[in-house]
Amino acid sequence: MKAETVRALAEVSVAVEPSEFIAILGTSGSGKSTLLNLFGGLDRPTSGEILFDGKSLAPLSSWEMSRYRLSRVGMIFQSFNLIPTMTARENVSLALAFAGLSKSDRRRQSLDLLDRVGLSKRADHHPSELSGGEQQRVSIARAIANEPQVLLADEPTGNLDSSRAAEVMGVLDEMRRRDGKTIVLVTHDQELADQFATRVIRLKDGRVVGSG
Amino acid sequence: MKFADIIALAWRNLRQARLRTSLTVIGVIVGVSAIVTMVSFGLGLQNNLLRDALARIDLFTSITVMGPGADAMLAMRDRVSNSTSSDGGDDNGASNEDKSDGDASAKPEPSPPPVRMLDDAAIAELQGIDGVRYVLPNFSFSNYVRFEGRTRRAFIGGAPQSIDYNPRFKKFLAGHHFTAEGAREVVITERFISWVRSKKRINGDRRRRPGGPFQMAPTKSEEERKREATGILGKEIVLLTLREQDAAPSSVFGIPIINVSSNENGDTPSEFGEQYEESAYRVVGVLKAEDGFDINNFMETDMFIPLDQAKEFRNANRDPMSRIGELLAGDTGYQNAEVRVADVSEVERIKEDIKKRGFRAWSFTNQVEEVRRVFLIVNSALALIGGISLLVASFGISNTMIMSIRERTREIGVMKAIGGSDGEIMRIFFVEASLIGLAGGAMGVVGGWGIDRLANLLANRWILKQAGQAVRHIEFFSIPWYLSSGAILFAIVISLIAAIYPAMRAAKVDPIKALRYE
Repeated sequence: MKAETVRALAEVSVAVEPSEFIAILGTSGSGKSTLLNLFGGLDRPTSGEILFDGKSLAPLSSWEMSRYRLSRVGMIFQSFNLIPTMTARENVSLALAFAGLSKSDRRRQSLDLLDRVGLSKRADHHPSELSGGEQQRVSIARAIANEPQVLLADEPTGNLDSSRAAEVMGVLDEMRRRDGKTIVLVTHDQELADQFATRVIRLKDGRVVGSG
Repeated sequence: MKFADIIALAWRNLRQARLRTSLTVIGVIVGVSAIVTMVSFGLGLQNNLLRDALARIDLFTSITVMGPGADAMLAMRDRVSNSTSSDGGDDNGASNEDKSDGDASAKPEPSPPPVRMLDDAAIAELQGIDGVRYVLPNFSFSNYVRFEGRTRRAFIGGAPQSIDYNPRFKKFLAGHHFTAEGAREVVITERFISWVRSKKRINGDRRRRPGGPFQMAPTKSEEERKREATGILGKEIVLLTLREQDAAPSSVFGIPIINVSSNENGDTPSEFGEQYEESAYRVVGVLKAEDGFDINNFMETDMFIPLDQAKEFRNANRDPMSRIGELLAGDTGYQNAEVRVADVSEVERIKEDIKKRGFRAWSFTNQVEEVRRVFLIVNSALALIGGISLLVASFGISNTMIMSIRERTREIGVMKAIGGSDGEIMRIFFVEASLIGLAGGAMGVVGGWGIDRLANLLANRWILKQAGQAVRHIEFFSIPWYLSSGAILFAIVISLIAAIYPAMRAAKVDPIKALRYE
């Protein structure tokens, strides 16, 4: 796997290596979420280029971009963004359904995925019946459903108390250690960044102000 | 994403907003019900007019060939003798009974083209056309008849003795056909029975007689009718003919003349007996009236006697004007003849053939097509009226979808973020709309059918009872398979059209905006 290079925001140039746990630190409005959305293929840069696996995302069509979001990156949000009317397993299944898996495959795999985040017993619960930490773990299971190389987490612990936060961060860290995932964490929490990240990038007003 | 999964997702979305979905579907149900009810009424009307006629295929294998008549013969002769005159006899019957077919009007002529005479030679010629089963010279005449002491005017037709080929003489309520061509036997119709049995005055209003295109089934049971008909068998009907003052040879008729003076009937004063002749006929058969639409009603025939004898009576019964016409024009042949075609698909070809030979010919097929065309317009208009309510429902669908998209903006954003494509999102909404259309359409067809049944029941129970007749059940509505499937399909198409804008809007949802706020 080659370097994932990002040129974003105002003359930002960031390279993320495979299996790195990179934390992007910054106050609100610093452009860290925008950077993550560009990474995640939800947004396109007005100028500059994003390379994934050495290839530019710019020429991708809308449909190709959706396939990129489906299988190359997995996104985790501060507010979990689970579909409230679906059970944990259905939420995970949805990502598999977009990949075109059969119903029986989805059944099996969604349970496996929930098992990987330690929630196989809560598979048939709706998000409202789950704690914040559990919901975020479901969303991690959904993010890794189609085995992307990169996980993009936008303030994943922002809505959680410290013990739940540690739990979720533990899961993410395990993904990197065990499965070799590349983690890009956007946070404003210096402590969290120091604790888990292999590298920290500081953003201020859309510019990189520090790295290391 | 597999299409089955899209359907499942769409179904789930609809179930989540059950009330809203139901209300939207009800809108579609109303629209489709309206269309189905309207059009089925039009189709029912069409069926009632055409079904009975269509059921009787013999109606459509028949071509009526018309002779020119004395006036037309005279007009033709005038034209030949005075060809410089633009219009020899413009006000005579020839122009009135003009051929209605436009085949000869390619080059405009002030006078109708000559029409060939329908004589025995012509009958033989028509008989020779390929595909013709038989040709039956058709004529009826009116004649005073006496039956059971009462005298009235009746319409009498001639029938061939051999009846194998003619379906008209196959349904006997009682008795049988003539035993021989020369037999002095008469076959009466049920119309005659009901006429003579009615308490109304003789020579009364003919319009009051039963029959007509919308003939209701007789109120009497089949057995009663049979008993009544059997009671008349063997009775005598006397045809009264004016005695020729100029001593025309009565032997021409070949019928023995009854001695008038021996008649003891009170209402035929014997002092006038010298002036007419009486011919007695024995009733041997009673023809059954056709149910429903009866083409023979147009003939208004009360009884049939053997063909040759009928010819003679007709000749003897001409009114003076006709006689003069005939004297001037010569033999005019038959009034018309019925050409029976073996195969219904050959009717048009044979009709054209007959026209080319110089006769006027008329068949029912083109009238049926005309009726069909009119009903196509009527039914389209009815469908349009029903369609307006479906149009209203389509706005309901659009509204529901847009509301649903607003509510589910976040969900759409999530789907996009985890890999759903614009096309997949769009498809989910199109499937939702078509499910609404399908459900509304199917239930609408059932609803329309229900309305039809109810209306039909009420119509039969009340409206027709108001008519004071115990009539057979009439089906006012008709829902053929193409109406029900077409209505459902139409509902789906309308729903899909209504979903175009909402679905495009759903596809354009910006996931970043959708996911930004809690």
